[in-house]
Amino acid sequence: MQLRQLAGSRAPGTDDSKRELFKKVISYMTIGIDVSAVFSEMVMCSATSDIVLKKMCYLYVGNYAKNNPDLALLTINFLQRDCKDEDPMIRGLALRSLCSLRVANLVEYLVGPLGNGLKDGNSYVRMVASIGVLKLYHISASTCMDADFPAMLKHLMLNDKDAQVVANCLTSLQEIWGLEASTSEEAAREREMLLSKAVIYYFLNRIKEFSEWAQCIVLELVAKYVPSDSNEIFDVMNLLEDRLQHANGAVVLATIKVFLQLTLSMTDVHQQVYERIKSPLLTLVSSGSPEQSYAVLSHLHLLVMRAPFIFSSDYKHFYCQYNEPFYVKKLKLEMLTAVANESNTYDIVTELCEYAANVDIPMARESIRAVGKIALQQYDVNAIVDRLLQFLEMEKEHVTAETLVLVKDLLRKYPQWSHDCIAVVGNISSKNVQEPKAKAALIWMLGEYAQDMQDAPYILESLIENWDEEHSAEVRLHLLTAIMKCFLRRPPETQKALGAALAAGLADFHQDVHDRALFYYRLLKYDVSVAERVVNPPKQAVSVFADTQSSEVKDRIFDEFNSLSVVYQKPSYMFTDKEHRGPFAFSEELGNLSIDTDLANDVVPAQRVEENDKDLLLSTSEKEENHGSINNSSAYDAPSYDGSRMVGALQPQQDLVSLDQPPPANTPASLAMDDLFGLGLPVAPSPTPPPLALKLNAKAVLDPNSFQQKWRQLPVAASQEISLNPQGVSALSSPQVLLRHMQGHSIQCIASGGQAPNFKFFFFAQKEDEPSTYLVECVINSAACKAQLKIKADDQSTTQAFSTLFQSVLSEFGLP
Amino acid sequence: MLQCIFLLSDSGEVMLEKQLTGHRVDRSICAWFWDQIISQGDSLKLVPVIASPTHYLFQVVREGITFLACTQVEMPPLMAIEFLSRVADVLSDYLGSLNEDLIKDNFVIVYELLDEMIDNGFPLTTEPNILREMIAPPNIVSKVLSVVTGNVSNVSNTLPGATASCVPWRKTDLKHTSNEVYVDLVEEMDAIINRDGTLVKCEIYGEVQVNSHLSGLPDLTLSFANPSILNDARFHPCVRLRPWEANQILSFVPPDGEFKLMSYRVKKLKSTPIYVKPQLSSDSGTCRISVLVGIRNDPGKSIDSITVQFQLPPCILSADLSANHGTVNILADKTCSWSIGRIPKDKAPSMAGTMTLETGLERLNVFPTFQVSFRIMGVALSGLQIDKLDLKNLPSRPYKGFRALTRAGEFEVRS
Repeated sequence: MQLRQLAGSRAPGTDDSKRELFKKVISYMTIGIDVSAVFSEMVMCSATSDIVLKKMCYLYVGNYAKNNPDLALLTINFLQRDCKDEDPMIRGLALRSLCSLRVANLVEYLVGPLGNGLKDGNSYVRMVASIGVLKLYHISASTCMDADFPAMLKHLMLNDKDAQVVANCLTSLQEIWGLEASTSEEAAREREMLLSKAVIYYFLNRIKEFSEWAQCIVLELVAKYVPSDSNEIFDVMNLLEDRLQHANGAVVLATIKVFLQLTLSMTDVHQQVYERIKSPLLTLVSSGSPEQSYAVLSHLHLLVMRAPFIFSSDYKHFYCQYNEPFYVKKLKLEMLTAVANESNTYDIVTELCEYAANVDIPMARESIRAVGKIALQQYDVNAIVDRLLQFLEMEKEHVTAETLVLVKDLLRKYPQWSHDCIAVVGNISSKNVQEPKAKAALIWMLGEYAQDMQDAPYILESLIENWDEEHSAEVRLHLLTAIMKCFLRRPPETQKALGAALAAGLADFHQDVHDRALFYYRLLKYDVSVAERVVNPPKQAVSVFADTQSSEVKDRIFDEFNSLSVVYQKPSYMFTDKEHRGPFAFSEELGNLSIDTDLANDVVPAQRVEENDKDLLLSTSEKEENHGSINNSSAYDAPSYDGSRMVGALQPQQDLVSLDQPPPANTPASLAMDDLFGLGLPVAPSPTPPPLALKLNAKAVLDPNSFQQKWRQLPVAASQEISLNPQGVSALSSPQVLLRHMQGHSIQCIASGGQAPNFKFFFFAQKEDEPSTYLVECVINSAACKAQLKIKADDQSTTQAFSTLFQSVLSEFGLP
Repeated sequence: MLQCIFLLSDSGEVMLEKQLTGHRVDRSICAWFWDQIISQGDSLKLVPVIASPTHYLFQVVREGITFLACTQVEMPPLMAIEFLSRVADVLSDYLGSLNEDLIKDNFVIVYELLDEMIDNGFPLTTEPNILREMIAPPNIVSKVLSVVTGNVSNVSNTLPGATASCVPWRKTDLKHTSNEVYVDLVEEMDAIINRDGTLVKCEIYGEVQVNSHLSGLPDLTLSFANPSILNDARFHPCVRLRPWEANQILSFVPPDGEFKLMSYRVKKLKSTPIYVKPQLSSDSGTCRISVLVGIRNDPGKSIDSITVQFQLPPCILSADLSANHGTVNILADKTCSWSIGRIPKDKAPSMAGTMTLETGLERLNVFPTFQVSFRIMGVALSGLQIDKLDLKNLPSRPYKGFRALTRAGEFEVRS
């Protein structure tokens, strides 16, 4: 109501009173109250010469125009008039507001002023106009393309005197061409043009004229450039070296990205780059606000993890300060762990022990874990074990708990320390240990070293007496296994407790606990010596614990240096939706890959899994696509697609895990499972003679995740290159056509992509009556009429039959 | 590419919202964000880059005001954070300082500034000198001026000349009645000292701050007596990097007003100016504490504003502390602060007392970290010395001033 009155009284007001009213309206808008009701009054008042008033009005109009398209029409008039004002500032502002209206049916009024703006004599107006084109494109792409704005932008980009105009043109063009590339050949070519030598050098030579933010954008572009030879690489790096000393951290980081990307293939230079960028990075960390240092630290963290030895002499930089927020300390701890080597382990561990006594409990826990990790890295274990055992004597619950878990891991790796450890662990009263993980660790040690610990059976017995009070199933499971081990070593003392434990276990409401108790019970009844072999097999020391993050993932994050991926420590496909990835990645995808969602949904219901899962699968192949397209970009006519790289990229990281003990176990729970698997019963291979005529299941189902997993695990059973008949190839206008054809022959596609002449498909098929799956990677080059096949199969013996079938189906494609 | 910027007050209220792209970010994201902050207890503890269900959020907190930016696309996180920090700097420069009332009173200016600083999600310029030419700061001078001239606009009606000039950080036709330039060396000492007195880490982060009021287009050359001690340096864009690489000489055309010419690091210092020796011993439920403070390495100038601060461990029920010099305060959050000021000539300051532990606890099992602060005027502890400052291209002889200051940064003593 009040607003209505304000609006009414507006018309005759002088500028001063108007200004107060406007201010009030805008402040309401700012708080979030809807003041769109006074739209028409506001617009009427906008005919003023007062620039502040104008600005407030622009702001208001920009905010509400989208929801009031009819009223927005009223504003067009005065905005268009302002676009012709003699003051360039007003011209610019009006143009910016005009472009920010974002009302689709008003675009026709935009084209004229924008065109004039691009040709304006004043750089401020051109600057606004060049971004305005991008805004127009997002409202109506066709209008923007029809008016031929991209070409004008290109001309400006390459010729304008003002660096900011050039930079704005670049951002607009990158996005427009990136999005257009999927539909238009020309746009794709233009996009390539941005990465051509001439353009890149043009930007590099002008880099000092750009504002710091524009420099970031240019550097981002340069990072994608692939120089032709090493001289060129050095030229670029020499030119950019002084950017490393820029006051703006964003510029420094963008430069670092360029350096790292350029030298990826030159191992020794890459090392030197690390040396060179170390100092600027460390300075960036110590200056600036905690927020900035966090972002830099995340990147430093990535580099440290890739090349710890280079940073090993700078370990003191990763010491934590008392006042730092926990997220910073945690990163630092991880880096300290990574850089530990023979020469600095002592200092680092001493420092970490200081944190363990820290008031901050999460911090204390993390530092103890860090000590443990260093110990597992095999440096100077002797001293570290002593330190860990000292922790146990500190009599702080969280410290004890954390340490127990670590001691257990240590013992699995260095059984030779058992004597020292057991002596200390034996002194810990189980009553002081409450956390399930720690309790489980303690119980595991009691079971494993029952013969060395005098009172192990009695401690276990007292624990079993309190079975009902034990809430964690994990602890109860461990208790069962431990008492079994103990029984097998010291039967007379343990028999009673074992009975009680089995009884309690059988009565347990938790399924796993119940099953394990039952299993043990029957095992013992069957044969004690078999039980011995199951529960207590001879163990080999674990040499390497499973890495939590595969090296493939790490490499991917590294490729995405200077992006959010680094901060989240996940590659972008794991956390962004496809449509929300950066403008560049976004366009690559549209250009190269499209999963055929509707098709998949029609035929393969199981593919209706989470979008994310699809992404996961796609992205791995996508990366290949991108790699491939970079390599092939200059020579699309002679693409020898290096399919073997795919296999390399997908090599599972299990190599890291010592497979002495069957599953890669690093938690107590799975450890107990080891014991079970330790039995080592050979799984009898099902003797199926290769059937002559292979029958495929027409309704085969496989979700992308399991496809990916299988693809990783299975070896390549057959790999060959075949020729296709030209008729078939000519029918291959888009990947979808082939998919339908293959589906008709019970071969399903799980992912496809590519653009003529290169297409890539992943197929799978299942045997008619058994769950035996075949996986196929098929790369088709339509120009050469060639296809490369890579087949993997659950049942290797039938590969040949399947391969023949697949080829014959493929060759039928395109025939009438 | 940022999609939206919000300014939140320290109670989580949205003070300002600036949509940057066609994709409108709903305000409800702020409510989500604030819930996160509350669940974390303190806004400073929240990671600066977080993912909400719909957006990626960047936050920078300055003086209780949260600058929150949202995006849905991949972008360099440092760019976003650095930009938000600059926004905060520019705003506090324009408004004199930062607080809720100032922003609410001047929101029109804030909008105007944001308009020029970022367009369609891409940062344009954050250089205060350029911005000041486009949008006049709301200071008293301009108010007086507006009354006199009757022109109430706080927007300068000329476009910044600098955008077209070859020195983007400076406009060409500056005139000052008194030509003067001040160069300050400001250093912060970061140190960690272990309970046995060993120096774990000691380094200096320093800045060369220049305040220049010079007419015309002056060309300055600044050289150091001992540039070799610097481990790494970063420069304001005005510094020409060639002369630095060749001869370690800073050659530059300064922006007008205050700016940070250079920042540097000096590693591996061997000693600290003062020592702080805490001793704690405890048995049967009580803990005796004594802290000694004294000068270890006389810097030649007086050390003042010395304070020692530490957090009493949670297991301590009560504490009775007194000092022979200065005052001891224990705050409600168990922070104990001992302000010493200057160290007297005749005695070494010491603080002593007893603390009662939680019942059931015999001995103290967590040890506090003592944070020390001090200030030394007139000395740059890294040893960096300015050799000379030459000015060329000036109509009259300017006044040159040099100062140095060292203060404690993160100076910690463990017990």
